[in-house]
Amino acid sequence: MAGELLSVKGLSKSFGEGKILDGIDLSVARGDVIAILGPSGAGKTTMLRCISFLERADAGDMIFDGVDYSLRDASRKEILEFRRKTGFVFQNYNLFRNRTALGNITEGLITARKMPKADAEEKGMALLRKVGLEDKHGSYPSELSGGQQQRVAIARAMASDPLMIFFDEPTSALDPELTGEVLSVMRQLAEDGMTMLVVTHELGFAENVSDRVIFMENGSIVEDAPSGKFFSDPEKKRTREFLATFIER
Amino acid sequence: MISERLMGILVDSFWNILIPGLTMTIPLTIISFAIAMVIAIITALVQFAGIKVLKEIARFYVWVVRGTPLLVQLFVVFYGLPNIGILIDPFPAAVIVFSINEGAYSAETIRAALEAVPRGQMEAGECVGMTYLQIIRRIVLPQALRIAFPPLSNSLIAMVKDTSLAANITVTEMFMATQRIVARTYEPLALYIEVGLIYLLFCTVLTRLQRIGERRLGAYGG
Ligand SMILES: Nc1ncnc2c1ncn2[C@@H]1O[C@H](COP(=O)(O)OP(=O)(O)OP(=O)(O)O)[C@@H](O)[C@H]1O
Ligand SMILES: [Mg+2]
Repeated sequence: MAGELLSVKGLSKSFGEGKILDGIDLSVARGDVIAILGPSGAGKTTMLRCISFLERADAGDMIFDGVDYSLRDASRKEILEFRRKTGFVFQNYNLFRNRTALGNITEGLITARKMPKADAEEKGMALLRKVGLEDKHGSYPSELSGGQQQRVAIARAMASDPLMIFFDEPTSALDPELTGEVLSVMRQLAEDGMTMLVVTHELGFAENVSDRVIFMENGSIVEDAPSGKFFSDPEKKRTREFLATFIER
Repeated sequence: MISERLMGILVDSFWNILIPGLTMTIPLTIISFAIAMVIAIITALVQFAGIKVLKEIARFYVWVVRGTPLLVQLFVVFYGLPNIGILIDPFPAAVIVFSINEGAYSAETIRAALEAVPRGQMEAGECVGMTYLQIIRRIVLPQALRIAFPPLSNSLIAMVKDTSLAANITVTEMFMATQRIVARTYEPLALYIEVGLIYLLFCTVLTRLQRIGERRLGAYGG
Protein backbone atom coordinates (compact mmCIF):
# COMPACT_ATOMS: atom_id res chain seq x y z
CA MET A 1 0.00 0.00 0.00
CA ALA A 2 1.74 3.12 -1.22
CA GLY A 3 -0.31 5.56 0.83
CA GLU A 4 0.24 3.83 4.13
CA LEU A 5 2.16 5.80 6.78
CA LEU A 6 1.58 3.86 9.97
CA SER A 7 0.67 0.25 10.52
CA VAL A 8 0.48 -1.43 13.91
CA LYS A 9 0.09 -5.17 14.39
CA GLY A 10 -0.70 -7.10 17.54
CA LEU A 11 -0.14 -4.34 20.07
CA SER A 12 -0.66 -5.72 23.58
CA LYS A 13 0.01 -4.22 26.96
CA SER A 14 -0.73 -5.20 30.55
CA PHE A 15 -0.25 -3.33 33.79
CA GLY A 16 0.19 -6.00 36.43
CA GLU A 17 -2.78 -8.36 36.16
CA GLY A 18 -4.92 -6.17 33.93
CA LYS A 19 -4.69 -6.57 30.17
CA ILE A 20 -5.10 -3.01 28.93
CA LEU A 21 -4.50 -3.51 25.21
CA ASP A 22 -5.37 -6.81 23.60
CA GLY A 23 -3.81 -7.28 20.18
CA ILE A 24 -4.58 -3.96 18.52
CA ASP A 25 -4.22 -3.71 14.72
CA LEU A 26 -4.34 -0.29 13.18
CA SER A 27 -3.31 1.33 9.96
CA VAL A 28 -3.17 4.96 8.97
CA ALA A 29 -2.80 6.34 5.46
CA ARG A 30 -0.90 9.53 4.72
CA GLY A 31 -3.12 12.52 5.23
CA ASP A 32 -5.67 10.60 7.26
CA VAL A 33 -7.31 12.23 10.24
CA ILE A 34 -8.50 9.55 12.61
CA ALA A 35 -10.59 10.11 15.71
CA ILE A 36 -10.47 7.55 18.49
CA LEU A 37 -13.52 7.35 20.71
CA GLY A 38 -14.24 5.15 23.67
CA PRO A 39 -15.28 5.11 27.31
CA SER A 40 -12.88 5.98 30.10
CA GLY A 41 -10.42 3.18 30.73
CA ALA A 42 -10.76 1.73 27.22
CA GLY A 43 -6.99 2.01 26.72
CA LYS A 44 -6.93 4.94 24.29
CA THR A 45 -4.16 6.83 26.06
CA THR A 46 -2.17 3.65 26.59
CA MET A 47 -2.39 2.84 22.88
CA LEU A 48 -1.11 6.27 21.88
CA ARG A 49 1.68 6.07 24.46
CA CYS A 50 2.77 2.62 23.30
CA ILE A 51 2.86 3.69 19.67
CA SER A 52 4.95 6.73 20.66
CA PHE A 53 7.29 4.66 22.87
CA LEU A 54 6.34 6.64 25.97
CA GLU A 55 5.32 3.25 27.30
CA ARG A 56 6.85 -0.10 26.32
CA ALA A 57 4.34 -2.54 24.86
CA ASP A 58 4.45 -6.22 25.83
CA ALA A 59 4.09 -7.20 22.18
CA GLY A 60 3.47 -5.58 18.85
CA ASP A 61 5.17 -4.44 15.66
CA MET A 62 4.92 -1.21 13.78
CA ILE A 63 5.86 0.06 10.36
CA PHE A 64 6.14 3.81 10.24
CA ASP A 65 7.18 5.62 7.08
CA GLY A 66 8.53 2.37 5.70
CA VAL A 67 10.67 1.57 8.77
CA ASP A 68 10.04 -1.47 10.96
CA TYR A 69 9.89 -1.07 14.73
CA SER A 70 9.31 -3.48 17.57
CA LEU A 71 6.98 -1.80 20.02
CA ARG A 72 8.48 -3.93 22.77
CA ASP A 73 12.19 -3.49 22.24
CA ALA A 74 13.01 -0.76 19.76
CA SER A 75 16.45 0.70 20.42
CA ARG A 76 16.99 4.21 21.65
CA LYS A 77 18.30 5.16 18.23
CA GLU A 78 15.23 3.82 16.47
CA ILE A 79 12.97 5.66 18.90
CA LEU A 80 14.83 8.89 18.26
CA GLU A 81 14.34 8.44 14.53
CA PHE A 82 10.62 7.87 15.06
CA ARG A 83 10.39 10.99 17.23
CA ARG A 84 12.02 13.11 14.57
CA LYS A 85 9.08 12.31 12.30
CA THR A 86 6.24 12.64 14.78
CA GLY A 87 4.72 15.06 17.25
CA PHE A 88 2.70 14.46 20.41
CA VAL A 89 0.11 16.74 22.01
CA PHE A 90 -0.81 15.96 25.62
CA GLN A 91 -4.03 16.44 27.50
CA ASN A 92 -2.24 18.65 30.05
CA TYR A 93 -0.14 20.54 27.46
CA ASN A 94 3.10 19.72 29.30
CA LEU A 95 4.77 22.93 28.20
CA PHE A 96 8.29 23.59 29.49
CA ARG A 97 7.55 25.98 32.34
CA ASN A 98 10.93 27.67 32.23
CA ARG A 99 10.62 28.55 28.55
CA THR A 100 8.52 31.20 26.84
CA ALA A 101 5.94 30.31 24.21
CA LEU A 102 8.61 30.80 21.56
CA GLY A 103 11.21 28.97 23.65
CA ASN A 104 8.92 25.97 23.92
CA ILE A 105 8.85 25.68 20.16
CA THR A 106 12.54 26.34 19.53
CA GLU A 107 13.86 24.12 22.35
CA GLY A 108 13.66 20.87 20.42
CA LEU A 109 14.88 22.47 17.21
CA ILE A 110 17.97 23.86 18.92
CA THR A 111 18.86 20.88 21.14
CA ALA A 112 17.68 17.87 19.16
CA ARG A 113 17.97 19.24 15.64
CA LYS A 114 21.02 21.44 16.19
CA MET A 115 19.29 24.21 14.26
CA PRO A 116 20.92 27.66 14.61
CA LYS A 117 19.01 29.75 17.15
CA ALA A 118 18.06 32.47 14.68
CA ASP A 119 16.59 29.98 12.22
CA ALA A 120 14.73 28.19 14.99
CA GLU A 121 13.23 31.47 16.19
CA GLU A 122 12.15 32.45 12.72
CA LYS A 123 10.43 29.13 12.37
CA GLY A 124 8.95 29.39 15.86
CA MET A 125 7.46 32.80 15.11
CA ALA A 126 5.91 31.50 11.89
CA LEU A 127 4.30 28.65 13.83
CA LEU A 128 3.02 31.00 16.54
CA ARG A 129 1.47 33.10 13.80
CA LYS A 130 -0.20 29.99 12.47
CA VAL A 131 -1.84 29.24 15.82
CA GLY A 132 -2.70 32.91 16.34
CA LEU A 133 -0.28 33.62 19.20
CA GLU A 134 2.42 35.73 17.60
CA ASP A 135 1.99 38.47 20.20
CA LYS A 136 2.42 35.98 23.06
CA HIS A 137 5.87 34.80 22.00
CA GLY A 138 7.50 36.17 25.16
CA SER A 139 4.94 34.84 27.62
CA TYR A 140 5.67 31.97 29.98
CA PRO A 141 3.16 29.10 30.21
CA SER A 142 1.97 30.37 33.60
CA GLU A 143 0.94 33.60 31.89
CA LEU A 144 -1.17 31.85 29.23
CA SER A 145 -4.71 30.46 29.32
CA GLY A 146 -5.23 26.73 28.88
CA GLY A 147 -6.35 27.21 25.30
CA GLN A 148 -3.31 29.33 24.53
CA GLN A 149 -1.01 26.80 26.18
CA GLN A 150 -2.48 23.99 24.12
CA ARG A 151 -2.06 26.02 20.92
CA VAL A 152 1.61 26.56 21.81
CA ALA A 153 1.88 22.82 22.44
CA ILE A 154 0.45 22.13 18.99
CA ALA A 155 2.91 24.58 17.44
CA ARG A 156 5.69 22.79 19.32
CA ALA A 157 4.55 19.45 17.94
CA MET A 158 4.57 20.93 14.43
CA ALA A 159 8.05 22.40 14.76
CA SER A 160 9.98 19.45 13.41
CA ASP A 161 7.76 19.18 10.31
CA PRO A 162 6.43 15.82 11.46
CA LEU A 163 4.74 13.33 9.16
CA MET A 164 2.14 12.68 11.81
CA ILE A 165 0.88 14.16 15.08
CA PHE A 166 -0.71 12.23 17.96
CA PHE A 167 -3.25 14.02 20.15
CA ASP A 168 -4.44 12.67 23.50
CA GLU A 169 -7.66 14.45 24.43
CA PRO A 170 -6.26 17.87 23.54
CA THR A 171 -9.34 19.74 24.74
CA SER A 172 -10.36 17.69 27.78
CA ALA A 173 -8.51 19.85 30.30
CA LEU A 174 -10.02 23.05 28.90
CA ASP A 175 -13.01 25.09 29.95
CA PRO A 176 -15.75 24.64 27.33
CA GLU A 177 -15.38 28.18 26.01
CA LEU A 178 -11.69 27.53 25.24
CA THR A 179 -12.07 24.29 23.30
CA GLY A 180 -13.14 26.11 20.13
CA GLU A 181 -9.85 27.90 19.57
CA VAL A 182 -7.89 24.65 19.91
CA LEU A 183 -10.25 22.67 17.71
CA SER A 184 -10.07 25.29 14.98
CA VAL A 185 -6.26 25.10 14.98
CA MET A 186 -6.56 21.34 14.65
CA ARG A 187 -9.11 21.66 11.86
CA GLN A 188 -6.72 23.98 10.02
CA LEU A 189 -3.94 21.46 10.49
CA ALA A 190 -6.18 18.72 9.06
CA GLU A 191 -7.02 20.88 6.07
CA ASP A 192 -3.30 21.42 5.46
CA GLY A 193 -3.02 17.66 5.04
CA MET A 194 -1.41 16.64 8.32
CA THR A 195 -1.82 13.01 9.31
CA MET A 196 -3.45 12.98 12.74
CA LEU A 197 -4.46 10.36 15.29
CA VAL A 198 -6.74 12.08 17.77
CA VAL A 199 -8.17 10.64 20.97
CA THR A 200 -11.14 12.84 21.74
CA HIS A 201 -14.54 13.14 23.31
CA GLU A 202 -15.51 15.87 20.82
CA LEU A 203 -18.05 14.12 18.63
CA GLY A 204 -18.31 17.22 16.47
CA PHE A 205 -14.64 17.03 15.62
CA ALA A 206 -14.88 13.29 14.98
CA GLU A 207 -17.87 13.74 12.68
CA ASN A 208 -16.86 16.87 10.79
CA VAL A 209 -13.07 16.85 10.65
CA SER A 210 -11.91 13.26 10.81
CA ASP A 211 -11.96 10.88 7.85
CA ARG A 212 -12.23 7.81 9.99
CA VAL A 213 -13.45 7.00 13.48
CA ILE A 214 -12.27 4.16 15.67
CA PHE A 215 -14.30 3.05 18.66
CA MET A 216 -12.32 1.30 21.40
CA GLU A 217 -13.48 -0.58 24.44
CA ASN A 218 -11.73 -2.89 26.92
CA GLY A 219 -8.44 -2.75 25.08
CA SER A 220 -9.82 -3.70 21.69
CA ILE A 221 -11.00 -1.91 18.59
CA VAL A 222 -14.73 -2.45 18.34
CA GLU A 223 -15.47 -0.46 15.22
CA ASP A 224 -13.30 1.22 12.59
CA ALA A 225 -15.25 3.06 9.89
CA PRO A 226 -15.31 6.17 7.72
CA SER A 227 -16.74 8.95 9.85
CA GLY A 228 -19.94 9.35 7.84
CA LYS A 229 -20.79 5.69 8.16
CA PHE A 230 -19.64 5.56 11.78
CA PHE A 231 -22.23 8.08 12.87
CA SER A 232 -25.07 7.24 10.49
CA ASP A 233 -24.85 3.49 10.27
CA PRO A 234 -22.45 1.80 12.71
CA GLU A 235 -22.04 -1.97 12.41
CA LYS A 236 -21.79 -2.87 16.07
CA LYS A 237 -24.44 -2.72 18.72
CA ARG A 238 -21.89 -1.46 21.28
CA THR A 239 -21.08 1.50 19.07
CA ARG A 240 -24.74 2.44 18.81
CA GLU A 241 -25.12 2.18 22.57
CA PHE A 242 -22.04 4.34 23.11
CA LEU A 243 -23.25 7.01 20.70
CA ALA A 244 -26.68 6.94 22.34
CA THR A 245 -25.16 7.87 25.71
CA PHE A 246 -23.81 11.04 24.11
CA ILE A 247 -27.06 12.00 22.45
CA GLU A 248 -28.97 11.56 25.70
CA ARG A 249 -26.83 14.21 27.40
CA MET B 1 27.31 51.66 82.79
CA ILE B 2 29.85 50.30 80.34
CA SER B 3 33.18 51.28 81.74
CA GLU B 4 35.72 53.08 79.60
CA ARG B 5 37.99 50.06 79.83
CA LEU B 6 35.29 47.71 78.54
CA MET B 7 34.41 50.14 75.78
CA GLY B 8 38.03 50.15 74.67
CA ILE B 9 38.17 46.37 74.67
CA LEU B 10 35.00 46.11 72.59
CA VAL B 11 36.20 48.63 70.00
CA ASP B 12 39.64 47.03 69.67
CA SER B 13 38.20 43.55 69.53
CA PHE B 14 35.63 44.49 66.91
CA TRP B 15 38.27 44.58 64.21
CA ASN B 16 40.14 41.64 65.69
CA ILE B 17 36.97 39.59 65.38
CA LEU B 18 35.70 41.01 62.10
CA ILE B 19 38.98 40.42 60.23
CA PRO B 20 39.02 36.64 60.83
CA GLY B 21 35.33 36.77 59.97
CA LEU B 22 36.16 38.22 56.58
CA THR B 23 39.29 36.16 55.95
CA MET B 24 38.19 32.83 57.48
CA THR B 25 34.47 32.49 58.28
CA ILE B 26 33.25 33.91 54.98
CA PRO B 27 35.72 32.10 52.68
CA LEU B 28 35.19 28.86 54.62
CA THR B 29 31.44 29.23 54.12
CA ILE B 30 31.56 30.19 50.45
CA ILE B 31 34.09 27.57 49.38
CA SER B 32 32.43 24.80 51.37
CA PHE B 33 28.96 25.72 50.17
CA ALA B 34 30.05 25.88 46.53
CA ILE B 35 31.58 22.40 46.73
CA ALA B 36 28.53 21.19 48.66
CA MET B 37 26.26 22.33 45.82
CA VAL B 38 28.22 20.31 43.28
CA ILE B 39 28.09 17.23 45.54
CA ALA B 40 24.40 17.79 46.24
CA ILE B 41 23.36 18.17 42.61
CA ILE B 42 25.23 15.03 41.59
CA THR B 43 23.90 13.07 44.58
CA ALA B 44 20.34 14.21 43.91
CA LEU B 45 20.48 13.53 40.16
CA VAL B 46 21.91 10.05 40.63
CA GLN B 47 18.96 9.20 42.85
CA PHE B 48 16.40 10.98 40.67
CA ALA B 49 17.57 9.19 37.56
CA GLY B 50 17.70 5.89 39.46
CA ILE B 51 21.19 4.94 38.27
CA LYS B 52 21.71 1.49 39.75
CA VAL B 53 24.80 1.22 41.96
CA LEU B 54 25.41 4.95 42.25
CA LYS B 55 21.93 5.43 43.68
CA GLU B 56 22.74 3.07 46.56
CA ILE B 57 26.04 4.82 47.21
CA ALA B 58 24.29 8.19 47.25
CA ARG B 59 21.71 6.94 49.75
CA PHE B 60 24.42 5.48 51.97
CA TYR B 61 26.34 8.76 51.92
CA VAL B 62 23.29 10.80 52.89
CA TRP B 63 22.38 8.31 55.60
CA VAL B 64 25.82 8.35 57.25
CA VAL B 65 26.36 12.09 57.07
CA ARG B 66 22.92 13.04 58.33
CA GLY B 67 23.09 10.48 61.11
CA THR B 68 26.34 11.68 62.72
CA PRO B 69 27.16 14.98 64.44
CA LEU B 70 29.06 17.59 62.48
CA LEU B 71 31.47 17.97 65.39
CA VAL B 72 32.25 14.26 65.33
CA GLN B 73 32.89 14.46 61.59
CA LEU B 74 35.32 17.35 62.15
CA PHE B 75 37.17 15.39 64.81
CA VAL B 76 37.38 12.22 62.72
CA VAL B 77 38.93 14.07 59.82
CA PHE B 78 41.25 16.37 61.73
CA TYR B 79 42.28 14.34 64.79
CA GLY B 80 41.41 10.85 63.59
CA LEU B 81 42.81 10.54 60.09
CA PRO B 82 46.43 11.31 61.16
CA ASN B 83 46.28 7.89 62.84
CA ILE B 84 46.33 6.31 59.42
CA GLY B 85 48.85 8.76 58.10
CA ILE B 86 46.49 11.34 56.57
CA LEU B 87 47.33 14.81 57.85
CA ILE B 88 45.23 17.70 56.66
CA ASP B 89 45.68 21.36 57.62
CA PRO B 90 42.87 22.88 59.68
CA PHE B 91 41.32 25.05 56.97
CA PRO B 92 41.18 22.40 54.22
CA ALA B 93 40.01 19.86 56.78
CA ALA B 94 37.14 22.18 57.69
CA VAL B 95 36.29 22.74 54.00
CA ILE B 96 36.20 19.00 53.39
CA VAL B 97 33.94 18.28 56.34
CA PHE B 98 31.58 21.20 55.79
CA SER B 99 31.16 20.48 52.09
CA ILE B 100 30.55 16.78 52.62
CA ASN B 101 28.13 17.52 55.45
CA GLU B 102 26.20 20.24 53.64
CA GLY B 103 26.26 18.22 50.42
CA ALA B 104 24.19 15.49 52.06
CA TYR B 105 21.56 17.83 53.45
CA SER B 106 21.27 19.88 50.26
CA ALA B 107 21.09 16.71 48.18
CA GLU B 108 17.83 15.90 49.92
CA THR B 109 16.54 19.42 49.30
CA ILE B 110 17.41 19.25 45.61
CA ARG B 111 16.06 15.72 45.24
CA ALA B 112 12.72 16.83 46.62
CA ALA B 113 12.75 19.83 44.27
CA LEU B 114 13.47 17.56 41.28
CA GLU B 115 10.50 15.41 42.25
CA ALA B 116 8.36 18.53 42.43
CA VAL B 117 8.93 19.50 38.78
CA PRO B 118 5.86 18.34 36.84
CA ARG B 119 6.83 15.06 35.17
CA GLY B 120 4.93 15.54 31.93
CA GLN B 121 7.57 18.00 30.76
CA MET B 122 10.07 15.17 30.57
CA GLU B 123 7.81 13.23 28.23
CA ALA B 124 7.23 16.35 26.16
CA GLY B 125 10.99 16.73 25.91
CA GLU B 126 11.34 13.12 24.79
CA CYS B 127 8.68 13.67 22.15
CA VAL B 128 10.54 16.59 20.60
CA GLY B 129 13.62 14.37 20.38
CA MET B 130 15.66 15.65 23.31
CA THR B 131 17.96 13.22 25.14
CA TYR B 132 17.52 12.48 28.84
CA LEU B 133 20.55 14.59 29.71
CA GLN B 134 19.32 17.52 27.65
CA ILE B 135 15.94 17.36 29.36
CA ILE B 136 17.52 17.27 32.81
CA ARG B 137 20.05 20.01 32.12
CA ARG B 138 17.81 22.45 30.29
CA ILE B 139 14.30 21.82 31.61
CA VAL B 140 14.15 19.94 34.91
CA LEU B 141 17.25 21.06 36.81
CA PRO B 142 16.74 24.81 36.29
CA GLN B 143 13.20 24.52 37.62
CA ALA B 144 14.30 22.36 40.52
CA LEU B 145 17.03 24.78 41.55
CA ARG B 146 14.50 27.58 41.51
CA ILE B 147 12.21 25.58 43.79
CA ALA B 148 15.17 24.73 46.02
CA PHE B 149 16.50 28.28 46.23
CA PRO B 150 14.76 29.35 49.47
CA PRO B 151 15.64 26.22 51.47
CA LEU B 152 19.20 26.28 50.12
CA SER B 153 19.52 29.91 51.19
CA ASN B 154 18.48 28.83 54.66
CA SER B 155 21.19 26.20 54.63
CA LEU B 156 23.78 28.75 53.61
CA ILE B 157 22.79 31.01 56.49
CA ALA B 158 22.91 28.09 58.91
CA MET B 159 26.37 27.24 57.61
CA VAL B 160 27.77 30.68 58.42
CA LYS B 161 26.99 29.94 62.05
CA ASP B 162 28.09 26.31 61.94
CA THR B 163 31.57 27.34 60.83
CA SER B 164 32.14 28.39 64.45
CA LEU B 165 32.57 24.66 65.12
CA ALA B 166 35.79 24.84 63.12
CA ALA B 167 37.32 26.54 66.18
CA ASN B 168 37.47 23.02 67.61
CA ILE B 169 39.98 21.98 64.99
CA THR B 170 42.12 25.12 65.42
CA VAL B 171 40.79 27.14 62.52
CA THR B 172 41.16 30.75 63.71
CA GLU B 173 37.77 31.93 62.54
CA MET B 174 35.65 34.51 64.35
CA PHE B 175 34.68 32.42 67.33
CA MET B 176 38.22 31.23 68.01
CA ALA B 177 39.45 34.82 67.71
CA THR B 178 36.87 35.87 70.29
CA GLN B 179 37.86 33.10 72.69
CA ARG B 180 41.43 34.30 72.55
CA ILE B 181 40.45 37.87 73.40
CA VAL B 182 38.29 36.62 76.27
CA ALA B 183 41.23 34.68 77.65
CA ARG B 184 43.25 37.89 77.71
CA THR B 185 40.58 40.31 78.99
CA TYR B 186 38.14 38.25 81.11
CA GLU B 187 35.09 39.91 79.55
CA PRO B 188 33.19 36.87 78.27
CA LEU B 189 29.69 38.35 78.42
CA ALA B 190 30.38 41.47 76.38
CA LEU B 191 32.68 39.76 73.90
CA TYR B 192 30.50 36.73 73.18
CA ILE B 193 27.55 39.06 72.66
CA GLU B 194 29.74 41.11 70.34
CA VAL B 195 30.69 38.11 68.19
CA GLY B 196 27.05 37.05 68.19
CA LEU B 197 26.10 40.42 66.78
CA ILE B 198 28.69 40.10 64.03
CA TYR B 199 27.23 36.70 63.06
CA LEU B 200 23.84 38.38 63.07
CA LEU B 201 25.18 41.07 60.76
CA PHE B 202 26.51 38.49 58.29
CA CYS B 203 23.25 36.59 58.30
CA THR B 204 21.23 39.75 57.83
CA VAL B 205 23.22 40.60 54.72
CA LEU B 206 22.64 37.06 53.38
CA THR B 207 18.93 37.26 54.10
CA ARG B 208 18.78 40.47 52.08
CA LEU B 209 20.63 38.79 49.21
CA GLN B 210 18.19 35.89 49.41
CA ARG B 211 15.26 38.28 48.97
CA ILE B 212 16.89 39.88 45.95
CA GLY B 213 17.67 36.46 44.51
CA GLU B 214 14.12 35.27 44.96
CA ARG B 215 12.77 38.35 43.24
CA ARG B 216 15.14 37.83 40.29
CA LEU B 217 14.11 34.20 40.00
CA GLY B 218 10.47 35.24 39.86
CA ALA B 219 11.10 35.86 36.16
CA TYR B 220 9.07 33.04 34.68
CA GLY B 221 5.86 33.94 36.21
CA GLY B 222 5.31 31.60 39.19
N1 LIG C 1 0.81 3.39 34.47
C1 LIG C 1 -0.26 2.60 34.73
N2 LIG C 1 -0.22 1.68 35.69
C2 LIG C 1 -1.27 0.88 35.94
N3 LIG C 1 -2.44 0.95 35.28
C3 LIG C 1 -2.55 1.86 34.31
C4 LIG C 1 -1.47 2.75 33.97
N4 LIG C 1 -1.88 3.55 32.96
C5 LIG C 1 -3.14 3.18 32.66
N5 LIG C 1 -3.54 2.18 33.47
C6 LIG C 1 -4.86 1.52 33.41
O1 LIG C 1 -5.10 1.16 32.10
C7 LIG C 1 -6.47 1.32 31.76
C8 LIG C 1 -6.59 2.12 30.50
O2 LIG C 1 -6.11 3.42 30.75
P1 LIG C 1 -6.04 4.54 29.64
O3 LIG C 1 -5.51 5.74 30.29
O4 LIG C 1 -5.32 4.03 28.46
O5 LIG C 1 -7.56 4.72 29.28
P2 LIG C 1 -8.25 5.83 28.38
O6 LIG C 1 -9.04 5.10 27.36
O7 LIG C 1 -7.24 6.80 27.90
O8 LIG C 1 -9.26 6.50 29.40
P3 LIG C 1 -9.65 8.06 29.60
O9 LIG C 1 -10.76 8.34 28.63
O10 LIG C 1 -10.14 8.09 31.01
O11 LIG C 1 -8.45 8.86 29.37
C9 LIG C 1 -7.14 1.95 32.97
O12 LIG C 1 -7.82 0.94 33.66
C10 LIG C 1 -5.98 2.45 33.79
O13 LIG C 1 -6.29 2.39 35.16
MG1 LIG D 1 -6.85 8.82 28.29
